[in-house]
Formats: sequence, C-alpha cells, structure tokens
Amino acid sequence: MSHDAHHAPVASKLELAPERSDLGLYRPDRTRGLLDWLTTVDHKKIGVLYGAFAMLYFLIGGLEALAIRTQLARPDQTFVTARMYNQLFTMHGTTMIFLGVMPLSAAFFNFLVPLQIGARDVAFPRLNAFSLWAFVFGAFVLNASWLFEFGHLAGWFDGFAWHQALTYTDFAPANGWFSYAPLSGTFGQANAALQAPRFTGVGTDFWIIGIQILGVASLAASFNFICTIINMRAKGMTMMRLPVFTWMTLVTSFLIILAFPAITVALIELMFDRQFGANFFNPSAGGQPVLWQHLFWIFGHPEVYILVLPAMGIVSEILPTFSGKALFGYPIIVFSGAVIGFLGFAVWSHHMFTTGLGPVPTAAFALLTMAIAVPTGVKIFNWLGTIWGGRIRFTPPMVLALGFIWMFMCGGFSGVMHSAAPADSQQQDSYFVIAHFHYVLLGGVLLGLMAGLYFWFPKIFGRMPNATVAYVASGLVILGFNLAFGPMHYLGLAGQPRRTHTYHAGNGWEDWNFVATVGAFILGIGVFMAFANLVYTAFKGPKCSSDPWDGRTLEWSLPSPVPEYNFAQSPVVSARDAFTEHKHGTKRIAYEADGGEAGVHMPSQSWMPMLAAGGFLFIGFGMPMMAMGIPHAGWIVVSGVAVLFAGIWFWALEGPGGYMLKTPAVSPTPAGTPAASTSAH
Amino acid sequence: MSDAVIDQKTIAIETERYHHFITLALWLAAITGVEIVLIFLPLPAAVLLAVLALLSAVKFFAVILWFMHLIYDARLLFWLFFAGLALAFATFTAVLMLFETGRIDTKWFA
Amino acid sequence: MSQDAAHHAPTSTGIDHKKLIMWLFLASDCMFFGTLISTHLLYRKLYPTGFTDAEGHQQFVQKLFNIELTSFSTFILLMSSFLMALAVSAMHKGQLKSFRRNVVGVIFFGLIFLGCQVYEFTHFYHQGLTIQNSVLGSTFYVLTGTHGTHVAIGILWLVMLYFYSFTGKLGGHVGALDVEVAGLYWHFVDIVWIIIFTAVYLVEYLGPSGIWGNGLPVLAK
Repeated sequence: MSHDAHHAPVASKLELAPERSDLGLYRPDRTRGLLDWLTTVDHKKIGVLYGAFAMLYFLIGGLEALAIRTQLARPDQTFVTARMYNQLFTMHGTTMIFLGVMPLSAAFFNFLVPLQIGARDVAFPRLNAFSLWAFVFGAFVLNASWLFEFGHLAGWFDGFAWHQALTYTDFAPANGWFSYAPLSGTFGQANAALQAPRFTGVGTDFWIIGIQILGVASLAASFNFICTIINMRAKGMTMMRLPVFTWMTLVTSFLIILAFPAITVALIELMFDRQFGANFFNPSAGGQPVLWQHLFWIFGHPEVYILVLPAMGIVSEILPTFSGKALFGYPIIVFSGAVIGFLGFAVWSHHMFTTGLGPVPTAAFALLTMAIAVPTGVKIFNWLGTIWGGRIRFTPPMVLALGFIWMFMCGGFSGVMHSAAPADSQQQDSYFVIAHFHYVLLGGVLLGLMAGLYFWFPKIFGRMPNATVAYVASGLVILGFNLAFGPMHYLGLAGQPRRTHTYHAGNGWEDWNFVATVGAFILGIGVFMAFANLVYTAFKGPKCSSDPWDGRTLEWSLPSPVPEYNFAQSPVVSARDAFTEHKHGTKRIAYEADGGEAGVHMPSQSWMPMLAAGGFLFIGFGMPMMAMGIPHAGWIVVSGVAVLFAGIWFWALEGPGGYMLKTPAVSPTPAGTPAASTSAH
Repeated sequence: MSDAVIDQKTIAIETERYHHFITLALWLAAITGVEIVLIFLPLPAAVLLAVLALLSAVKFFAVILWFMHLIYDARLLFWLFFAGLALAFATFTAVLMLFETGRIDTKWFA
Repeated sequence: MSQDAAHHAPTSTGIDHKKLIMWLFLASDCMFFGTLISTHLLYRKLYPTGFTDAEGHQQFVQKLFNIELTSFSTFILLMSSFLMALAVSAMHKGQLKSFRRNVVGVIFFGLIFLGCQVYEFTHFYHQGLTIQNSVLGSTFYVLTGTHGTHVAIGILWLVMLYFYSFTGKLGGHVGALDVEVAGLYWHFVDIVWIIIFTAVYLVEYLGPSGIWGNGLPVLAK
C-alpha cells in the first residue's frame, strides 16, 4: 500500500509528522494521555479498558447483590420495596453477565490472543475499538435506567404530561435477566398510537436496547477474534500448538457469533411488540410467550459456556505453569472444550422442562444435558492429571485456580441433578437453582477470572500485586462464597422461591438466610480487597521481571509492559509451550528478519470507531424515551442511526493509514534467558 | 495499485468464470420458472414440498458455490459457513417440531 | 472496511481477512434469518388460516399473496446476483468501466425489488393485514421487512463503492477484494430470499388446501 511509503520509520509515534487521512482530517496518531486512550486501536490498551470497565461493573453488580442479601437477611424486612427488589435482581444478573464477566473475558481475549499467537495486533484494529466503545455505551444506557429511576423517585418528572400518562413507572428493568414474555411484553389490542398495554414500565425498553447494543459489541469482537486466531498465527504456530486459552477464545467466539443472532431477533420481536404493537409474544392475539423462552435459551444456554470457557482456558494456562508440567492431555482438553461448545447448542430446553415440552423432547434434552457432564469431567480429570506429581507452587493465581476446580465441580454436581427432569421440576425457581449457577459462575468463572488477573497482571503492567493481600482476599472470597451460596442448596430444597422480595418467619429459612447474608458481605469484602490490590498495583506496585512465573507461552517472552509493537521481530515457533521449550528444552524460538531499522507496520489510531459507536448512545436513549411517550423522541433514534452510518462511512473513507515503527533487534540469547527481555523498552 | 498488474492468467480464469455465471443465471431463472409452474400441478402436497425444497436447495448451493466463489476458494470458508447453516437448520427444525398444534387454543385458528 | 494491519503479510490460511470475516458474518446471519423465518413458519403452523381484518372478515393467506408479483421480484433479485458476480469478475480483471456498468445494474435491480416490496406492503395493508392485527402481520412484515432492510443496506454499500470508483482509489487486489466482500453480502441477501420465496410464499399454494391445511381450495382465487 502507498500510505506508508512516504513515512520513514520512527522510534516513537510521537516523532511522526502530522498526517491527514483520506478524509483530510488529522489522524490522532501522535496523541498521548486521554486522547490516546480514546482513539487507541492497540489491542493491549483496549484490553485494559475492557478490564477497567468490567471491574467497575463487577463492583456495581456486587453492591446490587449486597442490597438483595441485606433485604433477605431477616424475614419480613423492608430495606427495599418489592419493586426495587425486582429491579435489583434484574440489574444484578444483567450487570454481572453482560457487563462483568463477558467484558472481563474480552479483556483477556484482547490482551492475550495476539501475544499468545505471535501477532502484532488483531485482524481489524479499528473494529476492535468499535467493539469496546459499543460495549461502553451499551453498558451506560443500561445503567442510565437507574438515573431515570432515581429521578422518578425524587419526583423530577412529576410535572410532565408524558409522565402522568404512564401506567407503569418502573424505569430500571424489573423483568429478570431472562425477561420472560408475557411479563416483558404486551397484552390486549394495540391502540391508534400503535401501543398495546404492557405489564412493565420502560425499564424493559432500556433492557432491550441495552442488550441489543452489547450484542453488537460482542458479535463484532468475536468476528475479529476468530479472524485473528485463524489467520494471524506466527510461523510454526499450528492449531494444535495454540495455547489452550487461545483455543477457548476461539470456541467462545464461535459460540457468540452463532448464539447471539437468536437473542438479537428475539429482542427485535419484543421491541416490535412493545413499541409498535406487534403480536409476537402477545397472548391476547395468539402470540406464544413460550417462543420467547425458546429463543432466549437458544442464546442463553450457549451463553453459559460463553461465560465459563474463557475461565477454563485461563485455568488451563495457570495449572501447568505452577505445576512445572505440560498440560495433561492437551488434545483432549481442546477437543472436550469444542464438544462442550457444540453440545451447548443442543440443550437449551432443559431450562424449560416445567413448560411441558412433552415426554420425548424432555427425555432427549435431559439425556443431552447429562452428556455435557462427560467432556466437563474429562477436563477436570485432565487438570488433576496436570497437577498430579507436579512441583506445585502455591502462588495467588494457583490458589485461585485450584479453588476454581473445586467450586466449579460443586456447581457441576448440582447441574447434573437439574438435568434429571423430574428433579428439576422440584428445583425450578427455587434457591437451589441460585446456589447451582452461583457455584458455576462465581465459584467457577469469577475465581478463574481473578486467577487470570493475578497471573497476567505482572505482564500487563510490569508490576507484581501484593501476595499477602492476594492470599487473604482469595481466602475471604472462597470462604464468603461458600457461606453465602452453600446454604442456598438447603433453602431451595426447603422451598424458598427465587425472585421474591421477602419471606415470612416460621418457614425454617431464617437462620440460613442470615448466614448467607453474612457470607455475601465477607465475599464482597474479599472481592473488593482483591480488586483494590490490583488497582494499587497498576499504579504503585513493585516492578517485576518480564517472566516472574517461569511462563510457558509466547507472551512471557516479551518485556513487561509489552511494547506497542508486541514482537520486535516475529517469532517462529516449533513446539507447543514454545517459551518453556525455548528456555528449558531443545526447540528454540527463532525470529524472522523483520522489524529493526526498517520498522514494523502499525495501524493508525482513529476517532471513527468511537463516533460510530456513539450512534448507539442516541439509539439507546431514544428507544426508551419513545416508550415513555416523550414527544419527538423518535428523532433521537433516527439521528442515532445517522451518526452510526456516518461513523462507518467516515471510517471507510479515511483509509486504514498506518506508520512504520522501528524496533530493537532481538539478540540471540542463551537458553534460560528470556530472549526479548534484553531488548528493554 | 494500477490495473496493469492484472496478469493474463487472472483474465483467462475470470473469462471462464464469466461463462459459468451466464449459464448459472439461466439455470436459476429456469428453476424459478419450474417452481412457479409446480405449485399449480395437481400433485400431493408432500411430493411438491419435497421437490420445492430440493429445488431451492439447488439454487441456494449454486449461488454460494459459484456466485460466491466457494468452489474456487479455500475449503475452510465453505465449512465455516456450512456450520452456521447446519446449526440454524437443525435448531429451528427442532423448535418447529417442539410446538404441537394440538396444544394450542383453537380459538386462534379462526 | 477496516483491514488495517498486515496488508502485505500473508495470512496463516492464505485467506484474506476481509473475506474470512464476511463469511463468518454470513454464518452468523444464517442463525439470524433462521430465527426470523422459523418464527413465521411456527405461527403459520399453529394458525394456518390467515388473519381477521378490521371488519372482522376472515382473510386467507393465499388470497392475500400475489404470486406473480413475488415471482417477478424473485427473478429480479436473482438477476441482480448475476450482475454482481459479473461486477466482481470485472474488478478482478481490472475493468473498472465494466464494473461500474454491472454495479449500476445491481443497484437498479435492487431498487426494483424494494419497489415491489413497498407495493406489496401497501397492497397487503389495504387488504387489512397490519402488524398489529395478527401474528401473521407481525411475522410477515418483520421477516420480509428485515430482509428488505438488508437489501437497502446492500444498495447503500454498492452506491458508495460506485462513487468511490471515480476517486481512482478503487483498484488492484485490495479494490477487487472490497468489491468481492460487498458481493458476498449481496449474494447472501439473494439466497435468503431464495429460502423465503419457497418457505413463505410457494408452500402456501401446495396441495388441495395449502401445506398448512386450512381447508381452503388454493386455486379458487
């Protein structure tokens, strides 16, 4: 391409001459500070931003959980109203899944995948930035519903005609994270203004458009990662030499691109019901609310694996590192991950046993659900095989990873219990289900992600988190978690229903509910300590070497923090666990003769991804405002679509740009010394 | 970036494809014509449905293989697309079968 | 749109990034249209007759549909796909003028298709089918409307490529790839219509009383 021909390679992007894009605007390549972060297309910075937002929303979702547990600590409490309780559990679930776990996994995808496969960036750097900002704006729209709710409670809207015309005034979503129709939908006949009566307020409209925007973000990111992993592997990095985390990213990305369209369409249909008087799920006109359940769980069950597979990938990296052994049964682990992903599409109806599917479908879905236990069990035994006979180092990430195996197994056991349809019909909508999926999502996924944070933080920031605080925090998390969710197994079997804002004394639920609340607060303190430790480390922590854990994969061969071009020269690998082989084995990492004074190609930064994603902000506020009946709110939506299209158009027309960056040469190093640590940044 | 770099081999390949495309376009038009005639024939619905499904599958795969170059491109692309297609087909066939007409309130048949 | 890095670097599989991501998008879009089409078919299966118009009269789908018009627009869309294939071929041969001729044809045919759809929607609306008065109206308009939106986005994309070709920047391998990727999208919209044409329109005419079995003689139009 001609765009970089007139640029001599530079040592730092700050030395670049100002350059105009094909649109005639200056490219923000030379920015630093805030502007640099806003326009960045660097996968590492995008990963850090994903991680920062995810941790923020983890804390918000955690506060919502603590409010729920405070309300349930004693019988007949009035800490929050029933309506606020519904909003809290809805937003707690939605926040944790879509704004906590998924973006934190995306943070790891972004930061690690190019490093682990020996690439300098993702396949589409600007699309990656678009995914980030779409996520940020979608998350903002969803949580802005709280602002409207508080405005309503404070009486700010009382004087407005549109507010007085509202039948329901819940502004924050109160429909549950699954948003079952007909509760989330409409009933009766639409009026002349195309609006049918609804069961819930505009909170549901905030939820619909928020999830829709977050879906776009996840889809765009997943296309990008599949492309990157399939197409941008370093020489010698065959598929069966990919680190397991990268493999699980690939499987997860496929799950996202194949599962999200179902919820996208379901949300469009629900939106048409609510905003334009359509009848997809309107029972008064023959709509089938149970269709919503099907469409939701066709997405929702793969979503469970979208949440858990990245954590499994992280654990599969940590256990071999701290056991000093190669991962036991690498091909089996990879294959079982793919099988879990595939089977995940064939079991959605096990969430719907109690809807009355009929005996044959119920039996089929029960058997398929039980079948998933096989590849999952295979993974657990492979992890055990990995640490068996290993020289185990109980570092904070290792402690958390071992906690993952233990807790996730408990969640798996109760999961197998659900797969038996008769048992499930007893457990449905009880606290037993809450106990089950929190063991999977918190004991499994959160511990796995925290392990990943403590494992890779030294690589991301070049600083080592405080180990003592980390051990204490890990202990508090595991203790508090078991105190909070262990008793819920009992509460569920004793009949306590979920999604109910209070309970009367005398059911035998008082003591264990109190214990669960105490556990929840211990858990909250633990998570807060763990995160505070990390935030402190990012800015003030002690510096550490580039390979503090004796890592096994390519990212540990790079300096910490990783320079913007990642690899000064492109690696050529000849083994799985390439860096371990390089250090301790015979198969060394070779380097191609690129980079150096001739420089490596860097993509230009751009405002356009953020501008395009900014259109979602207008759409996200416009749609619920239309539902509120605010005059002319439809034009906000129209202008949002215009901004989105303009952003994409400018993005296409500005041209990809790019500049050449000089890199230090990688000198041949003796085995045992990290090759690139000599080329300090 | 000029057009002069296009080599003779590419031109020969594309010219050959050009003829394939014309033939295929004629076939697609013919099949569509046959489909429209078919629905007016007094044959059992099941037979017609099978034939129509087959014909639309033929058209579908003809377009993805030739117009969309899958037959010329890397095989990986075919399997990636086929994965989505097969999954969609299997999933939604199951959804359609999971709903039984006998369980629906008959007042909505009106 | 955004193949920023590694234009020169050969990819691991030899497949261009843009082509790969477009095929991934299309695989994903199969699930998207699969959901929409199956929603429509599901409600056809459950409520085979049709809908009740504003006057309370029972209306039958076969009487509503105009198979001649739909066959015409199907033919138009197939031919637009043919012209798109020629446009891509022309770009590979570096024949910019031929590309422009063909792409104008695609845009023109696409607009005819959309025109037919506007006419069809208006016609159905006057027959009494609205998005509010039945599940049939909801599923039919949202399914075909979403397909029409895909067509409209494709037209917008091709119009931009058409004007872009006059800047002199559309050419060579990258230009041919950009056109080919747009072409993949256009062909996909076409194959979705191939399915819709059979699954939504043609099956209503099968057998003595339609495939969904509503008891109405089909040919008594």
